[in-house]
Amino acid sequence: MSGGRRKEEPPQPQLANGALKVSVWSKVLRSDAAWEDKDEFLDVIYWFRQIIAVVLGVIWGVLPLRGFLGIAGFCLINAGVLYLYFSNYLQIDEEEYGGTWELTKEGFMTSFALFMVCIADSYTLGHLDHFLHCHPL
Amino acid sequence: MFPVICSSLLIGLPAATQIYSLQYIQMEKKKETITESAGRQQKKKIERQEEKLKNNNRDLSMVRMKSMFAIGFCFTALMGMFNSIFDGRVVAKLPFTPLSYIQGLSHRNLLGDDTTDCSFIFLYILCTMSIRQNIQKILGLAPSRAATKQAGGFLGPPPPSGKFS
Repeated sequence: MSGGRRKEEPPQPQLANGALKVSVWSKVLRSDAAWEDKDEFLDVIYWFRQIIAVVLGVIWGVLPLRGFLGIAGFCLINAGVLYLYFSNYLQIDEEEYGGTWELTKEGFMTSFALFMVCIADSYTLGHLDHFLHCHPL
Repeated sequence: MFPVICSSLLIGLPAATQIYSLQYIQMEKKKETITESAGRQQKKKIERQEEKLKNNNRDLSMVRMKSMFAIGFCFTALMGMFNSIFDGRVVAKLPFTPLSYIQGLSHRNLLGDDTTDCSFIFLYILCTMSIRQNIQKILGLAPSRAATKQAGGFLGPPPPSGKFS
């Protein structure tokens, strides 16, 4: 399952504690990229989750997608897309990173909070006329 | 502005966490290579490493505690300021009705029964959880995963220190 067709790559420099250099992103869409540094890969998962949260938050707020359907949809898409990415596309051995659950929960709560901020802001901005009518400044 | 200020208060942390993370990773690697038949010397080396790790963990906790105090102080001061400006005002609309135990926070001090009205405190907490964390990560000031794991993270107790202790 893991690493049989992976190329050896020179170690990539990485900024401390979670920030990623531009060179890391060049590996992200390559299914044959080698991930020697586990923290680097976990950071990529983390940032992907934040991007999904912002995109879905804005879209859900603009549509708008009301009720808990939007929140449930976000959770499913967030978990599902990343699972497909690391399991099917990259074919990572999940056990190296502590199992599927560890990869699933990496950055999940932060992305959920970011999603809530984005959906509240975009929904409010999208319905500003009605909002100001009901709550004049 | 607030997340940037708070992130800058963690400036003392990266050096300590880097040292701690490297030691933790080295120790974990040594443990993996050790076997049942390994000599006493190897086990003593591991114990010494664990001792060093505990000392660094203690130093790390001290640095973190100072940062946490400063952040807590900023949080309280800014909360007081925002309270005076936004208390009783609807700052956003939510596209859903929050759960009843969250409504105490999301509808705090707001008039009316429309539970989709959002008070500043709810948005403030969400921003603290999301934007502050991300800014810390971008600036490279977030604690490393090894340090977080040893501290037990947010929910769990600290993990056991090692099989040779």
